[in-house]
Amino acid sequence: MTGKTEISRRDAIKIKAATLAAAAAGISGPASAANLVTESKETELKWSKAACRFCGTGCSVMVATKDERVVATHGDILSEVNKGLNCVKGYFLSKILYGEDRLTQPLLRKTNGVYDKEGEFTPVSWDEAFDTMAEKFKKALNEKGPTSVGMFGSGQWTVWEGYAASKLMKAGFRSNNIDPNARHCMASAVGGFMRTFGIDEPMGCYDDLEAADAFVLWGSNMAEMHPILWTRLTDRRLSAPHVKVAVLSTYEHRCFDLADIKMVFTPQTDLAILNYIANYIIQNDKVNKDFVSKHVNFRRGNDDIGYGLRPEHPREKDAKNRLKAGGSTEMSFEEFANFVKDYTLESVHELSGVPKNRLEALAELYADPNRKVTSFWTMGFNQHTRGVWCNNLIYNIHLLVGKISEAGNSPFSLTGQPSACGTAREVGTFSHRLPADMLVAKKEHRDIAEKIWKLPEGTIPPKPGYHAVLQNRMLKDGKLNAYWIQVNNNLQAAPNMNEETYPGYRNPDNFIVVSDAYPTVTAQAADLILPTAMWVEKEGAYGNAERRTQMWHELVPAPGEAKSDLWQLVEFSKRFKVEEVWSEDLIAKKPEYRGKTLYDVLYRNGQVDAFPTSDIAEGYANHEADDFGFYLQKGLFEEYAAFGRGHAHDLAPFDVYHEVRGLRWPVVDGKETKWRFREGSDPYVKAGSGLEFYGHKDGKARIFALPYEPAAEAPDDEYAFWLCTGRVLEHWHSGSMTQRVPELYKSFPDAVCFIHPEDAKAQGLRRGDEVRVISRRGEIQTRVETRGRNKPPQGLIFVPWFDASQLINKVTLDATDPISKQTDFKKCAVKLAKV
Amino acid sequence: MLRHSIAFSFFVAIALLFFGLDRVAADNIATLRGPAPLIEQEEAPRMMPFNNNDIREVRNYPEQPPVIPHKTDGYIVDLNSNKCLSCHARSRTGESQAPMVSITHFMDRDGQFRASVSPRRYFCSQCHVSQREVKPLVENSFIDVDTLLLERAKQQ
Amino acid sequence: MLNFLRRYWQALVRPSTSISLGVLTIGGFVAGIIFWGGFNTALEVTNTEAFCTSCHEMRDNVFVELQTTIHFTNRSGVRATCPDCHVPHEWTRKIARKMQASKEVWGHLFGTIDTREKFEEKRIDLAIHEWTRLKANDSLECRNCHSDESMDITRQSVRAAESHERFLFTGEKTCIDCHKGIAHRLPDMSQVPGWQ
Repeated sequence: MTGKTEISRRDAIKIKAATLAAAAAGISGPASAANLVTESKETELKWSKAACRFCGTGCSVMVATKDERVVATHGDILSEVNKGLNCVKGYFLSKILYGEDRLTQPLLRKTNGVYDKEGEFTPVSWDEAFDTMAEKFKKALNEKGPTSVGMFGSGQWTVWEGYAASKLMKAGFRSNNIDPNARHCMASAVGGFMRTFGIDEPMGCYDDLEAADAFVLWGSNMAEMHPILWTRLTDRRLSAPHVKVAVLSTYEHRCFDLADIKMVFTPQTDLAILNYIANYIIQNDKVNKDFVSKHVNFRRGNDDIGYGLRPEHPREKDAKNRLKAGGSTEMSFEEFANFVKDYTLESVHELSGVPKNRLEALAELYADPNRKVTSFWTMGFNQHTRGVWCNNLIYNIHLLVGKISEAGNSPFSLTGQPSACGTAREVGTFSHRLPADMLVAKKEHRDIAEKIWKLPEGTIPPKPGYHAVLQNRMLKDGKLNAYWIQVNNNLQAAPNMNEETYPGYRNPDNFIVVSDAYPTVTAQAADLILPTAMWVEKEGAYGNAERRTQMWHELVPAPGEAKSDLWQLVEFSKRFKVEEVWSEDLIAKKPEYRGKTLYDVLYRNGQVDAFPTSDIAEGYANHEADDFGFYLQKGLFEEYAAFGRGHAHDLAPFDVYHEVRGLRWPVVDGKETKWRFREGSDPYVKAGSGLEFYGHKDGKARIFALPYEPAAEAPDDEYAFWLCTGRVLEHWHSGSMTQRVPELYKSFPDAVCFIHPEDAKAQGLRRGDEVRVISRRGEIQTRVETRGRNKPPQGLIFVPWFDASQLINKVTLDATDPISKQTDFKKCAVKLAKV
Repeated sequence: MLRHSIAFSFFVAIALLFFGLDRVAADNIATLRGPAPLIEQEEAPRMMPFNNNDIREVRNYPEQPPVIPHKTDGYIVDLNSNKCLSCHARSRTGESQAPMVSITHFMDRDGQFRASVSPRRYFCSQCHVSQREVKPLVENSFIDVDTLLLERAKQQ
Repeated sequence: MLNFLRRYWQALVRPSTSISLGVLTIGGFVAGIIFWGGFNTALEVTNTEAFCTSCHEMRDNVFVELQTTIHFTNRSGVRATCPDCHVPHEWTRKIARKMQASKEVWGHLFGTIDTREKFEEKRIDLAIHEWTRLKANDSLECRNCHSDESMDITRQSVRAAESHERFLFTGEKTCIDCHKGIAHRLPDMSQVPGWQ
């Protein structure tokens, strides 16, 4: 009786809910259809794990699919990284696939039915697209050789995409002109690691967040850029009141809301502050002498190394050590102490503008032997014309006090892209690198790669290729002519768009291909656009900032004819015969390869095609396997893993990653590594040594004496403001995904110019006024913002770069760190003019 | 620059008039920006106010953090105070009549419920955002699961 | 020196022999006006934002904070200056407040809050002081501009209108009860009722 009443009431509710939903969706369905909505079989969702598509934090998410569509996403409670949380972008992952302007077929610029650089974008078949593209690549290879072809990839490539691309370029086309946009992001961090430790990537892990007694943020706005790590840091700070947070930046941002020690410093003077801390530690006798004598060497780095500008630039001509930027000579501890002696409290306070009491409080955090300190940094350090130095100098401090490689004591370089570590760095998609930290310039490294790849000796060219900024210069100069861009929006992202990137892409000598899911500004500047399957439309693997490798399955089909970057790379390789791209003497070393295609040689080599499609987990599609007939991802992964296994970069077997929420390499005997270099945690440390920096042959880390040197361009009378560019929480990088999610768009729709109210007043500007931001290279128009999340000091403005209609990189300077070749997007001089 | 963009718009209008839509449309494919060529720029859009109508928006799926239906500019959440919780904390909802923070917010990293909101959820704006009164540049064709089920039922 | 003072004192206490009573009375009256006017003018000078922000403690802390709020710039361009909120408009209360303010001068001279850190430490005391004053006078300085009679709640958001109907118009709460931290950043609020 009661049961019956209940059922009827429930039915009534169901009908009402369904009617409302139908009305909302504009469907006038029959009322009886509502019965279906509560049937358990129908409301069941298929949940699968995936790595978040956005930043280097590497959150794990759960993705719900229904009828081949993503219908929901949430933070994975089983993931140690995020334990059920996401940031606002992560929570809206479900919608990034569904912008209405998804690219669904290849588009080629044509006039009257034939390719024309000045033609209109016209839909073409994949065959026509690849035929045209192959013709252009072959033409360049024939006429100018391998250095005239190139590729620009990304830390958003999945592991196997980066690996397949690197192989195609370095071994197939024999060109090292492949670089990832991680060059704009992490190259200085890589340079710092290699110089100080001889091995890339952080020794610590995110567990440091729950163990530290103090956090120091150096040029890292974690609250907006690594929100989930910020939740962990906040958790620690608020749960344990003794914990201190120090934040350094050139302007006040959201991290200052949690800071105990707030420091806004004059741009570039971070170098001096870092040296001051080292000096403080030495002067106050806080050096961990036992640690230093056992584990550290001292070196004097070359100074006056230039600014990575074009060689004819006067600032380059004057630089004494321009061609020996990374060089160094031995020195003693006493000489080092003497070197930092000039960085006194008084002088560094004068230079940086940071109050003395705060500088002392900061130095004391590091000096206090009873306080565990974790330092975080991102683009403030890395996008710096002395970025490698900044990385070296922070390690100096941690090494002097021995606060490293143990829970809570951690110098921690965070990454910006989801697989900056996993793909760009570990796979070695940089123009100078090979997998597992190896270098193209080293014969023994090339030998190893050629052996694993079953290629004739001498296939890989020894000269490093063009790095990101140099690629744009070479495009402009007409030396790089066939160019393929995947998973990034480099016209928007690269510096000095007006003078370098845009003229390079539109140079009539060049053929530019862009693979993307959406029509970005880069796509608009291209000649051929290839529609790409994104994120969970393909099987993938990413590696995050704590060395954690994570995988996901293909969960939904891509729209139209869109295909993954991996499919595109492998399919394109079929169009090249070995004799079309290799010299006769090279083929002579492996005559059996004559007549074969690059596809046969690179991907059907008995290793990459070793695993049958039946190995694919049940219930998941794999559009690459459908076309190629083998489990391509597994084959690529296992071949790639051969580089690192036994060489301190060990990865677990492929299938394991589909089961777990990621593992931190080196993974030896099924066990991941939390703190590298520490005995008991890292299996590569010699028993009994306690701690061993095994990256360098002598087992020691290096402390570098490096001075403060000024920025490449500083404000003057005419261009009176520093310009700093960066991101906002709601948009990821160039906004090509997040700007298409209405909720994220509406929360921060357009770029603005954050400026101090007094500066605005002095310029005759009000909040909301339209203003021109002008440099010596270009200008944009934006709106004045004197309030809100960022509060610059007088003399500095901040403009985010996510906005495709306000391209701030028209204004920025293409000065790079001469060692890492990474651009300084944080400092150039601009003036303002009211519109 | 402004004059440039006006001149350009004029040119586009004339071009549209004479050559029809397709030529311009085929070259200006970057949907997140206006019709200005890449090396030029149109007027920067005005800064629009935040929606403040207090009407809750339907979530795309239950796990989505609700967007904030009111303005929050000037709200301070720092070491000292949390403006949001002064209305949305459990104990404050009687007086404020605001929705209580979700029960999930009381869970710590280990999944245990705590006496108050977990510190890891302290900075509300990491997940919840106000909405400006602007139209999206590109529509999104995400379909929520209820609509999907209804469509399926309709097809059957 | 002592002799001079003695003679001066005698001149003051001895009745006048050469100036008429009328002159004395009128002169005294005029002098009174001058002194009184001078006093009030001086008082008014101390009652300006320029005066308040002539001390770096005010300029670099509270004034900077004010500049980002709605009480500094807003839709209609009507703005509050320091004394609008912090000095009573009625004369006797104003004098009382000014006498209290001598403590602030003392604080300035002795550097009680001459760094941001010291100011932050003292912020809770300073804030409680102002909240107590405004609570006691029923938010008088708020109401100098925001009178509830002139408030048209149909022009407010529903959320604001309902709260004002429930709490303000009934007299259950006064402005400062809900509107803390609207012009400056807040101190540690963990012990303040209604905050977490």
